[in-house]
Parts: sequence; C-alpha cells; structure tokens
Amino acid sequence: MATNQQQQPTEDMDSIQCVEVTSQVIMKITRNCQDELDKQLDPHVSGVLLGLINENKRVLEVTHCFPLMNSDTDESMEINREHMLEMERSLRSVNIDYQQVGFYQSTYLNTHCDRNFLDSVFDYLEEMNEAIAIIYDPLKTKLGHLSLRAFKLSSAAFNLYKAEKDFTAEMLRDNLVTYENLFQEIPVVVKNSSLTNVLLCELGHVQDTTSYFTLPTSSYLEKSMQLLLGGLDEINQDLLKINKYQKSVYKKQTDMMKYIQDRKEENDRMIREGLKPLPEEDVNELFKDPAPVGRLESLLSANRITSHCDMIEEHVKSGIGKLYLADSFMS
Amino acid sequence: STQSTGAPPVRKVIIHPVVLFNIVDSFERRNDNCKRVIGTLMGRYDKGVIYVTESFAVPHQETDEEVSMGMDYAMRISEMQKKVNTNMYTVGWYSSGIQINDYSSLIHSFYKVQFPSPVHLTLDTALKEQKMKINTHITLPIGVKNGTEGCIFTPVPHEIKGSEADQVCLKFFQGLKGTRKTPNFNDPEQIVHSCDDMMAQINVILGYVKQVSAGEIPMDKEVGRQLMEVVQSIPNLESDTITNMLNSHMQDLLAVEYLTYLTRQQLAIGARINQIL
Repeated sequence: MATNQQQQPTEDMDSIQCVEVTSQVIMKITRNCQDELDKQLDPHVSGVLLGLINENKRVLEVTHCFPLMNSDTDESMEINREHMLEMERSLRSVNIDYQQVGFYQSTYLNTHCDRNFLDSVFDYLEEMNEAIAIIYDPLKTKLGHLSLRAFKLSSAAFNLYKAEKDFTAEMLRDNLVTYENLFQEIPVVVKNSSLTNVLLCELGHVQDTTSYFTLPTSSYLEKSMQLLLGGLDEINQDLLKINKYQKSVYKKQTDMMKYIQDRKEENDRMIREGLKPLPEEDVNELFKDPAPVGRLESLLSANRITSHCDMIEEHVKSGIGKLYLADSFMS
Repeated sequence: STQSTGAPPVRKVIIHPVVLFNIVDSFERRNDNCKRVIGTLMGRYDKGVIYVTESFAVPHQETDEEVSMGMDYAMRISEMQKKVNTNMYTVGWYSSGIQINDYSSLIHSFYKVQFPSPVHLTLDTALKEQKMKINTHITLPIGVKNGTEGCIFTPVPHEIKGSEADQVCLKFFQGLKGTRKTPNFNDPEQIVHSCDDMMAQINVILGYVKQVSAGEIPMDKEVGRQLMEVVQSIPNLESDTITNMLNSHMQDLLAVEYLTYLTRQQLAIGARINQIL
C-alpha cells in the first residue's frame, strides 16, 4: 500500500477524503431496506445516490437518493433505466441535485462483495471519477449501531479492471493489487442543516428500545462461521484450480522437452541411416499453453472472508465483555 | 366541493419520520420567490388509519391572485413511485407553514380526486411559537344540504412512528447535536450508557418502593405485580451451573476468535507469497 501511494501521489491528494450524508438520505435508505426486509430475509435492495462534489473541501455530499427495483430480469433493468432518466428530469424542477454520485446497497452479514457488486462499482466509477458505493447493514442497525460505509475501487484496481476483466497472478503482482487494497473505504460523516436539527428537537426524546445487554447469541456466530466456511471452501477450490494449472504448465514443459529430445534422436538416427531428417516443427504450436486461472473470484472471496473475520471479531470482543458483566451480576 | 358520503373515515394518521425530513429538505430548496412549498404524500389506508410513508415535492406557484401547481408532474411521479413500491398510493398532501387558506381547499380538491379522503399535513417551518408544529387535517362537509355547502378542515390526531432501525438512526442524529460525526461501532460506550440508564431507572424504582413501604404513597397493585415479575425473572440457578455455563460460552467465543485470527493470518501470508513468487 505504501508503494502504491508513492507511485500516484497526486491522485490521492485530489480524490475525496470523506463523504457527507444528510440524515434525510439515511432515513430513506433505512425505510427502503426495512420495507424489503419485512418481505424476505435477504433482499437485494439497491438505489441511486444523488449529490454533488465539494472541490474545495474534497468532500462528496450526498443529498438525495431513490430506490431501484430488484434488477434480476432484463425487463426490470429496463424499468430501472427509464426510472433513473425520469427521476433526473423531474428532480431538476424541484431544485434537487440530480447528479448521480453512486449507489447504495443493503448487505446481509457482509455478503455483498461479489462480482455484481464489483461490476456496479466499476460502472459508476467509469461515469464519474469519484463515485462511491454505500453499504448499509440493516441487521447491525437493528441491533443498535447505525452501520453505513462508503467504498470505491482503489485506483490501481480500477485501472486493472478497465484493462482486463479477469486477472492473472502476474497482473496482480505488477499492479500491486491484493485483496486488501481492492476496495478503498472512505469515512462517512453525517451532517444536518439547522432546520433539520430543529425537526430533530421537535421529535422529542426518542426511546431507544434496543437492548445492548443481549449476550452473544450462538445463532449469529453460527451463521457467521457458516459464511466463513463457505468462503474458505471457495478459496480452497480456487487453490485446487491453480494447482492444476501449475501442474499442467509443468507437464507441458516436460512434454515439450521430451518431444524435442525424441525429435533430435529421430533426426540423428535418420542422418546415420542416410535419410532426410524430419522437418523441424514449431514446438509451441503442438503444445498449447493451458488457460491461466482467473484470480478475481479468489480476490473477492478473500475480501469477503476478511470482512466476516472483522465482524466476528467485533461480536466476540463485545460478547466477552458482556459475559463478564453477566458473571458479576449472577454471582 | 363536497365530500362524498362514501369516503372512508379517517381516525388517525401515522407519519413515518422520513416524510418530515423530506418536507424540511424541500422547503430549504425552494425558489427564492416562494413562501411555501407543497407536495404529495404517499402511503396506504387501513381500517381508519392512514399510514404516510413517503412524500415528494411538487412544483407550484402562488401569488395573491392565483395559484397553480404541476398536476401532471404529481401524477407522473406518483405512478413512478408505485412502480418501484407497489404498496403505496397517494393519500394526501403537505405544505410548509401553518396557514390554511382558499388555495389550500383548491389544492385539496385536486387530491380528493386521487384519494377520497386525503389528509393535509402542515409543518411550521417559520417556527412560530418557537416550535415546529405539525398538524394533520381532513375535510368534512359542512353547510346545508341542497343549499350552501362547503368543507371545513378539521384536525385529526397524528403520531410519528418509525421502525426500530429508524429509532436507532434518530437517536444517533439527536446525539450529533449539530456537529458532524461518523457512525461507528462503539459497543463498550453503548454498554456504559445503558448501564447508567439502568442505574437511574433502578434508583427511581427503589425510591418509589421505599416511599410506599414508609406509607407516604398509596400502593398500586399493578406496579407491585410488575415489580414482582421483574424480581422473579432472574433465574434461580446454583452458582456452579452458572459458572459452568458462562465458562463454556466464554470458551466458545475465544475459540472462534482464535480461528478468525488464524484465517486472517493465512490469507495475509498467501497474499504476500503471491507478491514474492
């Protein structure tokens, strides 16, 4: 990471340092996710973020957002596209910022990091240099901690993905992209206008009904461990594939050497018998290179596994503290 | 304009907090020559209660002589919202500022076409009486039948209610107190806060019990029963069983933490090897 920054110092200084979100946007995202959560446990909720970039303070302000339909089918993608255009036209007439600055997505226990997510982040970054993706965790918010994080592809990963849709190990090494610096997290700050603050005062004392004293439940840990195991399985399979690939490369080399050896012996024997030697054939034509294994999936899996580990660690740390509390209370 | 007798009765309005934030935001973005903003409220109606869950601003002009609003705009946007969220339909309209005048009834009649008993929400952005008052009204017909008829705006009780996640967000926003802050996972702090809250509540209850036992306050059977329930809800287990349970739970957590640590180190080593080879 350190060498990365030395290579491109100017870009880091120009890029945005933090994302400012208004409480209106957060409430809208929350309500959107809540509505969908009532229908099914793992909804794929996504929507568009609108706002503007404040060049002087190097801050991206998100001032508005609207939800999109679940884009599984082609026709819903078409509806989404029309929807976005319509909203852009309409919002202009009520003085709302209409520039798209990114998208938001809900996650279930940090499983959002897959190929689709990467593609979406890449698409938005292509259109706008500073586009971000906001990930909202509804379960964590329900437990009492507002969880809103902003991500974008690091510049190295972005350039690499632009050039090639699937990476090989050499490309990763040359561009210094690892699973750690695939995505770059940008701090999110909540900022309200004065009138909104008045509204908040008017809403009165909000009774926070979440109980912070719940001991760590085994179901949450079980689920996280299951996801961890799933991720490790995927990485294991990728490792097997890589092993196979390396073996086939090695096999190809030995086959080539053996072929050249045989040919040489053949030709020597022909020359001794006085016959014309066999023509030299291009060895590389005969032995095709096996297809190199794409490393993108394993990168994403590694990323996902790390975020699961982070999640479990946080949960366990607070859980141990609460257990000690319970111990002192019971005895 | 009169309200048809078949209109559904409205006894209460439940407003989702996001609607209020929307209204404040659209008021802040109004054009310079506008004194107030209006917009559509969307939601659903169920058994006498109107649930307002979404809103959007509608462009309109208002002078002393006439008023005009973008009716096509309102219809178009409400259709779009319905496509994305099929459960919502127009249930009323809002305006900033507490004034209700002739123009309000004109606009209200437009909304009556879309929903037979629309609710009119006003949010006092001018902050008269040092407060941002929120009022909800519906219209009821008054007058003499077959004579002079009209309608009157009558207030309807309202309640601002959100889900648990919304309450968490609101609590966080209120904790900001005008500064900027990053939402972060700070469990120990939260636990300390909760402990303090609980201590305060226990002190209150203790004070009450002391006063009752001293005879200063007449006892309340309901409160006594609930206190009894609370005290009895503590499980009556032997201390050995409790220690065993806690220890095994602790061991589980530690084992999990060790495994995650191990996984993370493995991944890091793998990545480094990739760089070197």
